[in-house]
Amino acid sequence: MRRQQLEDMLFRGTTKLFAVGVLLLLGAIMLALFIGALPAIRAFGFTFLVDSTWNPVKQIFGGAPAIYGTIVTSIIAMLIGVPLALGVAIFLTELCPPSLRRPIGTLIELLAAIPSIIYGIWGLFVLAPFLQSTVQPFLKATLGEIPGFGILFSGPPLGLGILTAGFILAVMVLPFIAAVTRDVFMTVPPMLRESAYGVGCTTAEVVRNIVLPFTRVGVVGGVMLGLGRALGETMAVTFVIGNAHRISPSLLAPGTTISASLANEFTEATGPLYTSSLIELGLILFFITFVVLAAAKLMLLRIERQAAK
Amino acid sequence: MTIEVSPVQTPAHPPMPARAASLAQAPMVSASHTAERAVPQTKVAVKDLRFYYKNYEALKGINIDLYDRRVTAFIGPSGCGKSTLLRVLNRIYDLYPGQRATGQVLVDGHDILTPGQDLNLLRARIGMVFQKPTPFPMSIYDNIAFGIRLYEKLSAQDLDARVEQALRRAALWDEAKDKLKQSGLSLSGGQQQRLCIARAIAVKPEILLLDEPCSALDPLSTQRVEELIAELKSDYTIAIVTHNMQQAARSSDYCAFMYLGTLIEFDETERIFTHPKERQTEDYITGRFG
Amino acid sequence: MTLYNRRRARNFVILALSLGATGLALLILFLILGTLLAEGVPALNLATFTQTTPPPGSQGGLANAIFGSVVMTIAATLVGTPVGILTGTFLSEYGRTGVLAEVTRFVNDILLSAPSIAIGLFVYVAIVVPMGHFSAWAGSIALAIIVIPVVVRTTEDMLNLVPAGLREAAFALGAPQWKVVVMVTYRAAIQGMLTGVMLAVARIAGETAPLLFTALNNQFGSTNMNAPMANLPVVIFQFAMSPYADWQRLAWGGALLITFTILILNIIARMLASWSGDTK
Repeated sequence: MRRQQLEDMLFRGTTKLFAVGVLLLLGAIMLALFIGALPAIRAFGFTFLVDSTWNPVKQIFGGAPAIYGTIVTSIIAMLIGVPLALGVAIFLTELCPPSLRRPIGTLIELLAAIPSIIYGIWGLFVLAPFLQSTVQPFLKATLGEIPGFGILFSGPPLGLGILTAGFILAVMVLPFIAAVTRDVFMTVPPMLRESAYGVGCTTAEVVRNIVLPFTRVGVVGGVMLGLGRALGETMAVTFVIGNAHRISPSLLAPGTTISASLANEFTEATGPLYTSSLIELGLILFFITFVVLAAAKLMLLRIERQAAK
Repeated sequence: MTIEVSPVQTPAHPPMPARAASLAQAPMVSASHTAERAVPQTKVAVKDLRFYYKNYEALKGINIDLYDRRVTAFIGPSGCGKSTLLRVLNRIYDLYPGQRATGQVLVDGHDILTPGQDLNLLRARIGMVFQKPTPFPMSIYDNIAFGIRLYEKLSAQDLDARVEQALRRAALWDEAKDKLKQSGLSLSGGQQQRLCIARAIAVKPEILLLDEPCSALDPLSTQRVEELIAELKSDYTIAIVTHNMQQAARSSDYCAFMYLGTLIEFDETERIFTHPKERQTEDYITGRFG
Repeated sequence: MTLYNRRRARNFVILALSLGATGLALLILFLILGTLLAEGVPALNLATFTQTTPPPGSQGGLANAIFGSVVMTIAATLVGTPVGILTGTFLSEYGRTGVLAEVTRFVNDILLSAPSIAIGLFVYVAIVVPMGHFSAWAGSIALAIIVIPVVVRTTEDMLNLVPAGLREAAFALGAPQWKVVVMVTYRAAIQGMLTGVMLAVARIAGETAPLLFTALNNQFGSTNMNAPMANLPVVIFQFAMSPYADWQRLAWGGALLITFTILILNIIARMLASWSGDTK
């Protein structure tokens, strides 16, 4: 029987080894990016974060426009994507006839399966011209007329720009959030749901008072997943954002994100400082995602503790 | 890698007639046969057993003997510790950090709570059936063969025979013989539970722990499982936890009433149900609380 | 009564909105697939699969890019899946509590959402620069790093869904833990775990960003894993962004290929899952 115990220890040890390996991977990524970014950090220091100069000729680089673009496009994506995804999840779990649940759910999942480069090419050739000719003029004519707020929708409708990137990102994160949300909605015990219907709740009330509280953690997890994807999404954004290293007040203007800058310029970057600056952007992107995820996790822990009390 | 199997565990008769015969004899009221048996031997002796979930004391010094080839039923209101006691006997609680037991549990005079105890071997000797049926996600045949293969290397024929034997003893053979390759999950709830019993007895344990085996079953399936228990006790030491007073009365020789982590009363089943010594026992079995 | 009507009205509005959201999502899916078919089908012919990527203005195909994508995806899956399954097993079976598991879980969640382009950068700094050149190996490793957290997460989730009673029942028979895990828990969770691996494959099959600075691209057919290798996503990126009509056409063809390959992968995953569900 010694052998059984030995086999058990061996199996456990192997799994543990790989777990440690995954742990070290994150450290390795951060370390490698930091080392790669070191020349740029030495050259520009903290001004890199607020400077919007991007001049390869003079070898002066500032990351502000890319950081701004990354955050703003992700905010737009979440504002549009999360409600849509919740709607899809509610439809699939509460409203959809059971016989259609699987096919429609599958189709939504296929939306997530489409690679980002496809969203990019579609966004560039189909969505951008469509937004330019219809949605953007409409936004200018309505929201753009509001004093102050309207500046967000000023300037010519170019099709390519921050807003279009946000739209594409919203479509891309939708299936992720919807799939996770649907799955966690499904984990609500049927009895719980039935008892709520039993006291006369409407479907919307069951979702609000039973399903959402029961699955809160999972839903936030899904949203978190979507946000992480939006922040770091590269190819789709690269196609439609317009690639301009500047911060414009208008959402219709072209901009850039960290990932788009990397995709566009990295292999063509001339000079070690240029490359290093791009790596520093990558490091910042990694750091932002890290902070977002860590914050979400801590928030979740607090909610869990409250629930436990 | 094999366990020694004592001869008493193997049914003396060919499976089918044995089952028919003992079913015919199986007394529905235990009272009739307790008297005619010799003085029972102690198989498991529990001494001053205390059990803790983290800091909560769930068992507060239990002393009880389980007799060889007798059915002992544990009754009592929810949370009284009867399932916990059962989970100590094969140390399944060890899977969960924060749960610990003190005291002694002597199986054939050997304390199984000692740290050096090989849990896998212990559990192979002590079968357990759970509240909900737990068929493994494999074929009916493999469900039974899984446990056998763990400790015995048998030829295909011998294995087939053992699987058939176990299924027959669990009164499932007739229903399952044509679909041995189908998933265990394809069976009905009652059949699944009998599959689990067959799986537990296929490894020829000495002790069988049944943790509310009928609570998820319909009356008909419950009846079959009870018949099974009556038949199995000629070979096994059986401990059964049940919420169902009639079930305890019907199928056990001894009965233990527990309340809030203590053993209130332990006696022959007949006496517990006719002349309980303790007021609390009487209240419980007459349905005044619990 | 007015309260009841208000509740009913609110219910109606919410359900209508959720129906609308689903309709919109499906519409976009069909629009994308429709565009792909309309633009991609005319671009595909035999030459697409037999000839290598052309210089601008001449005829050619995507053979080298298709080959590269297949090879690197397989290599990445073979490396990433075992790592992911074993790590997920540790988290679920051995590390429900404990600091190491807690931290690993946290880190894995971050890797899961980590921007793939940052992983490409990491492989560039850690492998391409020391090696001195771009290579298919570097690309495969970048993709494998993307596979791992997906598989870890689904493996852990799926193993956690296996009822405790099933494990207890196996332990109660005297099975050692590794047999419980391999023969009972894995079997119970196989459907979800397979789906996880397939999802990971589908994800990396279309990944572009991590390949940009690792496998790079290669104008010519190359089977050397130690050299830059063409791959569909990067070729699509280059060609679609180019001003040349021929290249754009090939990009659409490639986009159609890659998308439908991934959709078929998804369907196979589902079939595999339901098949294993029937016979297990």
